[in-house]
Amino acid sequence: MKMEEMSLSGLDNSKLEAIAQEIYADLVEDSCLGFCFEVHRAVKCGYFFLDDTDPDSMKDFEIVDQPGLDIFGQVFNQWKSKECVCPNCSRSIAASRFAPHLEKCLGMGRNSSRIANRRIANSNNMNKSESDQEDNDDINDNDWSYGSEKKGLWYLPFQNPNSPRRSKSLKHKNGKWGWSNGNYNNSTGISYETLGPEELRSLLTTVRGDLSSYPSLPCLPTRSLRCPQHTDEQRRTVRIYFLGPSAVLPEVESSLDNDSFDMTDSQALISRLQWDGSSDLSPSDSGSSKTSENQGWGLGTNSSESRKTKKKKSHLSLVGTASSLGSNKKKKPKPPAPPTPSIYDDIN
Amino acid sequence: MVVSKMNKDAQMRAAINQKLMETGERERLRELLRAKLIECGWKDQLKAHCKEIIKEKGLEHVTVGDLVAEITPKGRALVPDSVKKELLQRIRTFLAQHASL
Repeated sequence: MKMEEMSLSGLDNSKLEAIAQEIYADLVEDSCLGFCFEVHRAVKCGYFFLDDTDPDSMKDFEIVDQPGLDIFGQVFNQWKSKECVCPNCSRSIAASRFAPHLEKCLGMGRNSSRIANRRIANSNNMNKSESDQEDNDDINDNDWSYGSEKKGLWYLPFQNPNSPRRSKSLKHKNGKWGWSNGNYNNSTGISYETLGPEELRSLLTTVRGDLSSYPSLPCLPTRSLRCPQHTDEQRRTVRIYFLGPSAVLPEVESSLDNDSFDMTDSQALISRLQWDGSSDLSPSDSGSSKTSENQGWGLGTNSSESRKTKKKKSHLSLVGTASSLGSNKKKKPKPPAPPTPSIYDDIN
Repeated sequence: MVVSKMNKDAQMRAAINQKLMETGERERLRELLRAKLIECGWKDQLKAHCKEIIKEKGLEHVTVGDLVAEITPKGRALVPDSVKKELLQRIRTFLAQHASL
């Protein structure tokens, strides 16, 4: 039989169709036979009935087809409105927020540890910046230790505690002024010599005035301008000493600065705080006092006003006094005021 | 003439079958049919029928002959028309391709 004789082109379509049907029938029978063999093997091996369930269970797990329910018969957002009680903080929390709340509450999980670390870091920074300004009533060595002196123990805004000028004078004066108390060696404290009169005035009005209670340390400025270590009587004494008999103890802390000053007081203040004619003066002092004269001290506003209104006697007298004091420096050995009370007498 | 014609037909079929086998088309068609029967649930239906028969006859006394005799006609009848048509189409395509051979 040759291939050419067996060509299908001679066959009509019906025959082709018949052949196709035959092929199809063969295929189906193959599948059925295969299935029968599978079943027979399953029966003989004993696993044929394994996938059956009893009718009771079939009823339990029947598919539910009701509106509002899923095929298992559960309501969709049943747990949204329910509330749980947290075992840690005993608060009632919504169910959907319960897990994140618990994570934060117990301190577990990534975010809560991050928050805790950040808080620790912040509190460390806060402690460092706060310790200098706090009320250091206890004479604790730590107050004067190296750590706190970085920020400047004397926290006054117009001064740079780290300026080279300051540190030089301090180091030079440490032994002389007796500020080294064994612990306070390389501090950034203030030397009165380097202060201008304006600075000095505000310093004295803001700092507790009693210098003698603690042998070598003036009191630190605090948020509260009245320290509990000293009584009002002590403050009054010091104020009188510096400002003359007319000094008034300020009633309110806020009214300290300029309100208590008037012309007579300023005169006395100038006389007390100006170290003229004294050989103890360092060049910086004279320079500072000179500049203060020109500017009229911290009463600069007053003296400038006085220049404008030259008719008033008091202003003239003020200026005159200042100039006379200045001239006294060069001409008269003694200042017109009582012997200049060096504020370092006590300290020395 | 008739014998030769019949012989020719027989030869024709034999040749076609051979062609099917050689090209692997027969295997492909069989797999396609099985997949389609499972998809349409034909197998599950037949299995349920089997269970009934086995329960009737008793598990221990089931023989292959019995099963075949019972299941095959049912199986043939249960094949969905869509599956049948698709399969026939593929066979015709195959025949048309290899007609010149």
